[in-house]
Amino acid sequence: MDFYIGLLQVIGVHSLLGLSAWCVLHTGQVSLAQGGFFAIGAYGAGMLTTMLGWPLGWALLMAAVLAGGIAVAVGFPALRVKGLMLVVATTAFAEIVRLVFFNLSWKVQTPEGLIGPDGGLGFGGIRYFQANAWSNLHVLWLIWGLVAVVMALLWSLDRTRIGTLWRAVGEDEVAAQSAGINLTAAKVSAFGIGGAIAGLAGGLFSHNTTHIEHGNFTILLATFAIAYPILGGLKSLAGTLVAVVFIQGVLIEGLRFLGDWRSLLFGALILLVMLVRPTGVLGAPLRLPFVGRRDEPTSSAIPVERTHHA
Amino acid sequence: MLELRHVSRHFGGVKAVDGLDMQVHQGEILGLIGPNGSGKSTTVNLISGLYAPTSGSVVFQGEDISHLPTHLRAQRGIARTFQNIRLFSQLSVWQNLWAARVERGTGWSGWKSRWLASADQGRELAEQILEFSGLQGKRDVLAGNLAFGEQRRLELARAAISGAPLLLLDEPAAGMNATEIDELDQRIRALRDQGRTVVLIEHHMELVMGVCDRVVVLNFGRKIAEGAPQQVQDDPQVRAAYLGADDNDELMNAALAA
Repeated sequence: MDFYIGLLQVIGVHSLLGLSAWCVLHTGQVSLAQGGFFAIGAYGAGMLTTMLGWPLGWALLMAAVLAGGIAVAVGFPALRVKGLMLVVATTAFAEIVRLVFFNLSWKVQTPEGLIGPDGGLGFGGIRYFQANAWSNLHVLWLIWGLVAVVMALLWSLDRTRIGTLWRAVGEDEVAAQSAGINLTAAKVSAFGIGGAIAGLAGGLFSHNTTHIEHGNFTILLATFAIAYPILGGLKSLAGTLVAVVFIQGVLIEGLRFLGDWRSLLFGALILLVMLVRPTGVLGAPLRLPFVGRRDEPTSSAIPVERTHHA
Repeated sequence: MLELRHVSRHFGGVKAVDGLDMQVHQGEILGLIGPNGSGKSTTVNLISGLYAPTSGSVVFQGEDISHLPTHLRAQRGIARTFQNIRLFSQLSVWQNLWAARVERGTGWSGWKSRWLASADQGRELAEQILEFSGLQGKRDVLAGNLAFGEQRRLELARAAISGAPLLLLDEPAAGMNATEIDELDQRIRALRDQGRTVVLIEHHMELVMGVCDRVVVLNFGRKIAEGAPQQVQDDPQVRAAYLGADDNDELMNAALAA
């Protein structure tokens, strides 16, 4: 039973991570910085509860604000570039964050003993849940409660004008700016909100695992973060959730017996989805293959090839 | 309302626009014509802000906007369409229109209507212009799934709904049939009657000559003629530019009637 609770906790945390990337991808930007914001949240919230004795709620809030603030600060220069250059810039940022934590040694004396990040050895003893007698199930409720809150917020945000502006920028930056949309404001706002969500996810992660180290926050984590919304489709938030359940639940846990072949299958699966469902698993209405293909409804979500481009 | 003062735009050694002086008067429909590669689209991009001029200045309603970013020019009141349709194709018709609406409010309420207004506001807003654009009943369709002519109409509607006093239409009739061009003609006039000023870049001479109050002709990035449609049509330099030869009335008339 504990195994499944643990798995659901991981899925919840990764859902938040995927949602953070969803925000940014919405504006057409591919960012590999999400792992960096996640690390900032993980270390930040962990330090606040263990070293300063903050309550968890405030520590998580602070982690989100901190990661979001840094995302905005980084976003202004970083989002001036796009495409591959943005991927490079955000990767560099995430590596810098990781290396900062790799080199950060700062321990303080607390009633529980010396505690704090210890460079390459990592940051252990983030035992807020254990110290306050939270059961595994309580933690699970907290994580999924926050997933629900974040999803509800993003869902309503997507239905206000900012969601439309984000999507417009993601579709065509030239048309968007010619229509009076401030590209910088749209991109940085998405980046900041995404950063805050990643920070929140990181805070949950560090308290859930109790021990974190720089190796948790490599480029692989950032790859997962963008893989979820891309696989799930950007049209709906549920797509990201489905992708996390599938990747974390089915691929990573369910196929553990395959050993190293698992990674191969993972790559093959992404390719398959790209081929079969180019707008993501939930990007277009689901229908059985070879059924009802002949009469495409005009309002379906399948993109029409635009042949009038020069 | 808009003035180009000796504006140039060079791409490497290519002088796409070369020392262009041009005025657009309040409330007129100005035609901007010229052979392919004469600098028409570059001129539109210089006005809308996608390009900054290499030299010279662009003045809109008394303000030098030469180096203003594109979105601020749009917010000041310059809206445009594109030669190659650029809709937000994965957004619905109403979302395309809503995204282009310029909210000019200030303070918290202005901020809120710019960023956090509810979708209902967008749908209501769209209704106001769907009939004008002949897109009734298409409000919730994805823009990318519209027929070609509908996409062109949506692009015009998207420019119009911004509330901008100056509309730059870059070959709005391209790919349209005669009926659609007639409707376009009516819409351009209707926009002018609302008090908008229109700059029409177009190859379709019948439309240009019929609807424009004044025509500016470009060739090799320079202005070679300016005046009333008939006057421009009779200009020997214009004839030469279009045909690459001097007087050949028959060919010219054929070209202009095409």
